[in-house]
Amino acid sequence: MNLLQIRKASTSFAMPFRHRQVAGKHLLTNTEGAFVLLDDAEFTAFAEGTVARDSALYTRLRERNFVRAEVDQRAIEERIRTRKRFMDLGPNLHIVVVTLRCNETCVYCHASRADMSATHTDMSKETAEKTVDLILRSTNPSVTIEFQGGEPLANFEVVQHIVDYALKKNEKVGKTLEFTMVSNLSLMTEEKLKWLVEHKVQMCTSVDGPEHLHDKQRKLPSGAAALPLAGHAHAVAKHWIGRINEEYARLGLDPTLYHVEALLTTTSETLPLWKDVVDTYVGLGCKALFLRPVDPFGFAERSGGRVEYPRKDYLEFYRDAVDYMLELNKQGVQILERFAAIFLTKILGGEDPNFLDIRSPCGAAIGQVAYNYDGKIFTCDEGRMLHEMGDDTFLIGELGKTTYRDLMGHETVRAMAIASNLDAQPDCVNCTYQPYCGVCPVHNHKTQGSIFGRMRESTLCAVHKGIQDYLFEKIASGDPHVIQTFQRWTTVRDRTHFLQTCAL
Amino acid sequence: MSSSLDGFPEGQVQFDLERGGASVRVDAGLYPLEAIYGAAYVFIDRCFVLLDRADGGAYRVWLSPKKATDEQSVRAMLGELGNELLSCAWRAQIAKESRSIIEAVTARALGGARGAPGLDDLEAFDFSDEAFDDPLGIAMSWEEKYGKKKAEEPKAEAAEPDAEPKP
Amino acid sequence: MTELRFHRDLYDGETVDEAIKTFERFATIERAEDDEHWIVRLSADAPPRERRVAGELGNYALGLTIRRSTGAR
Repeated sequence: MNLLQIRKASTSFAMPFRHRQVAGKHLLTNTEGAFVLLDDAEFTAFAEGTVARDSALYTRLRERNFVRAEVDQRAIEERIRTRKRFMDLGPNLHIVVVTLRCNETCVYCHASRADMSATHTDMSKETAEKTVDLILRSTNPSVTIEFQGGEPLANFEVVQHIVDYALKKNEKVGKTLEFTMVSNLSLMTEEKLKWLVEHKVQMCTSVDGPEHLHDKQRKLPSGAAALPLAGHAHAVAKHWIGRINEEYARLGLDPTLYHVEALLTTTSETLPLWKDVVDTYVGLGCKALFLRPVDPFGFAERSGGRVEYPRKDYLEFYRDAVDYMLELNKQGVQILERFAAIFLTKILGGEDPNFLDIRSPCGAAIGQVAYNYDGKIFTCDEGRMLHEMGDDTFLIGELGKTTYRDLMGHETVRAMAIASNLDAQPDCVNCTYQPYCGVCPVHNHKTQGSIFGRMRESTLCAVHKGIQDYLFEKIASGDPHVIQTFQRWTTVRDRTHFLQTCAL
Repeated sequence: MSSSLDGFPEGQVQFDLERGGASVRVDAGLYPLEAIYGAAYVFIDRCFVLLDRADGGAYRVWLSPKKATDEQSVRAMLGELGNELLSCAWRAQIAKESRSIIEAVTARALGGARGAPGLDDLEAFDFSDEAFDDPLGIAMSWEEKYGKKKAEEPKAEAAEPDAEPKP
Repeated sequence: MTELRFHRDLYDGETVDEAIKTFERFATIERAEDDEHWIVRLSADAPPRERRVAGELGNYALGLTIRRSTGAR
């Protein structure tokens, strides 16, 4: 049933709401991001304004600000302010591409890599220092510098220089610094590991699932790794994940919080292997699995025919994988799905975890900035990838020429803030999932030719909607174990060991 | 030239595969000009785009693919144009209705990220401009404006533009 | 020869002039006008080149017109 089937709809009972049918129930959300799930009879009473004041339903609706006569204006303002807190701070994530060189060749490479001989794509120490200088001028008191590539270990000297230089400069600035590195780990050595652990650089890697799939999709030429395991990308990653986790344990850090996390890129070959993927991650000691679909950036465009798939198939894969993860959680295994955790933190926790691709407005420049090896500055890493493909739409400045405030006031940044504001976007403006969702203007630009995009035809929208449908179906089922697990997935524990603060 | 295309209303579409293009008639009462501009712009990487007026005050959008293509691709492209027109028209309406909230969010997000100007920004500021026009004398001190004037003192041009000429 | 007709309701005359200036080194271009249109007549050495230059000139004029119209709001 829908609103048209309501005989005498009340125009005064309800606060503005959006609704959608999920699992045979009516899901209602409102501006502040509260939700209720109603059955047919409850929805009819709500829409007709005939809910008895002394009923449990009335209490549920009132508590969540769906009843106009009982609305708590201050609570609404406070909840919206809490959800949008990220808007006041400015960019937290600074992605530094220290080189485009990479020793692995991946079928979907997002980063548009260069061969190992292309040393001209290494960031210089001078550019590195200018990058840090600009980062430390940003408004956010907490800053994460994320080393990416290419393969950042291929230009390890500059990684070291950035960490040393940033820590020294920060003595006078006093920000909270965090360093992370996204690496395939194949160029890792014991010496590098020792330095990274000592300097509290978090490490994150890519694992495409079971060994045969990982090795097929991520080609590691023989001799490219610093181990006898060369030629076997999965074995190399597994070895170093184990070693890093050992080092964390040696420092006495809680292994449930301190361990290497890995990222998955889902290709068409991954889809039937959902169980193997989850088992692989659990086997590697990972506590989180991010079931990311392949994106249209980098080489993924060229290999799209081979690695792409209809999003309907992806969503089946997602459901199977997360169902299995919930089952494992029931057995005491701790593994969470990252998309689910992001959405559930907003749905159940009333907070925004500030995941830059799923927030409104998105994090382009105002939440993250990407610095290329040559000093060019982009709104985000996706924008930088498009630059490597010959599209400079998201280039907003250059080190040494552009000031921090000029970057943030750039017309492209303003356009992206407007384009990713869900209150300005057709379809999103009426979508039940609007309080929890986000759009990516770079994805829209790449796939549909406009930063605004058309959500009904967007693969990203299909994924976001499909995942939220699944989560609300699970919530609607009322299974106490599922709710308990979902609640646990919303709990964010800071890895304080990696936070580096210098007293002024 | 074909005057119609399967799936589109009669008379709305002109299709000319030989010359490599097609056009759509767009009702000016349904779609504001900014929506037509917005939708047309989406195609300029793939097509040569030309706008024109059509009969009855309508608009016509011509698309001519840059690379040779077949009828099926042209149909898909025109369908995409229709969808983009609707999307742009709706967005224009939302922008009008929600202008204040969109502006407030944008200002808060950009303001939060830019922060207050620092010394670097002030250093970069160009102070060398000529004195600004101050017809009300707001930039003058009280003494300058109302104090006893010495007869031999030359007048500040910008400060007293409306002063009586001296004999 | 290719003739492009830019309707005065839809294109800013200055943007058409600017587009002509930008592309005149790629083709022989004449400018004319009637009551409703800015008219551009264009000829180049070979038909494919003429089509491309005419098309890109049209896109350029459209892009500039849109930029000016949105900038003015």
